Amino acid sequence: MLGILRRIWGDGASGQVARKRMQFVLMHDRIDITPEMMEALKNDMIKVLSRYMEVECGSVKVDLEQGKDFMALISNVQVKRVYRHST
Amino acid sequence: MAGKIVVVTSGKGGVGKTTTVANLGTTLAKKKYNVVLIDTDIGLRNLDVVMGLENRIVYNLVDIIEGKCRKEQAMIRDRKLSNLCMIPAAQTREKNCITEEQMKELCSNLAAEFDYVFIDCPAGIEQGFKNAIAGADTAVVVTTPEVSAIRDADRVIGLLEAAMVRQISLIINRLNAKMVKRGDMMSTEDIISLLSVPLLGVVPESEEVVVSTNRGVPLVHDRSSKAGAAFRSMAARLDGETIPLDGNSQGIFGRMKRLIWN
Repeated sequence: MLGILRRIWGDGASGQVARKRMQFVLMHDRIDITPEMMEALKNDMIKVLSRYMEVECGSVKVDLEQGKDFMALISNVQVKRVYRHST
Repeated sequence: MAGKIVVVTSGKGGVGKTTTVANLGTTLAKKKYNVVLIDTDIGLRNLDVVMGLENRIVYNLVDIIEGKCRKEQAMIRDRKLSNLCMIPAAQTREKNCITEEQMKELCSNLAAEFDYVFIDCPAGIEQGFKNAIAGADTAVVVTTPEVSAIRDADRVIGLLEAAMVRQISLIINRLNAKMVKRGDMMSTEDIISLLSVPLLGVVPESEEVVVSTNRGVPLVHDRSSKAGAAFRSMAARLDGETIPLDGNSQGIFGRMKRLIWN
């Protein structure tokens, strides 16, 4: 039974899966940033970036990640073109 | 000197708060301290059955606070230890019939007479929780190695810190060493690094706990019980003793070490 579950959920032992999930959940709980605030942050970032370059708005992702002793904001943005003269 | 006021809390229900209160309190009473246990889970009282004192209840916590009895009248003496007593929760009232101020006052009155005041906190983070932590200077957070219990413990730790409860330590209850070894349960180290509070101790998962609550006799009375030994060393740590954390580890070396040290 456990073997079947393991096959469904990929290989990692479930203890480590739990640990990684909890790292993520607790970090979000602690910083208390609502999904709406994350969305607002994302939109503001797009606004600022758009002054310098044309970005693919639908592609922008913003995530917080917990390192061993730091927290990182990680964002992936697809750039269409960079303006020659920033406005 | 005023006694220590310890709240035992968890956020999530069913992780072992009441068992912890019963066992830590009983251990310290066996060490000749004067100990009182308060059940603050108004409406869902349970400490009385875990302690085996359910048929002696006349007055309760709410009666004391509403002035219907003196606090001595509501304190039920333990069957074995004369220096251990318990104040039961009211069963037919609601959590918001007492206030944080009233709890603070009761706790400090009790701390003047007792060496240890243990508060069994209800599950949740509403009024019952706020009342339970109001008078406490020390908190013991109980969790199990499960995601829901750990998440709730983290929430509760945040609330305790915000409420200026200075000393917070963690008990990991029902750890299954076999599952940890197999990789199917978060280890003590995993949980500590997630919650980042000092560890008071780890209680191995054990059928003895069910048996002891069935009988209404706290586990620590049984010298041969492993889980009981875990509670005894946690009580000693709470009392300021330094006992190595792997003191109740499995294996022949752990056991030999224990034999030599005790």
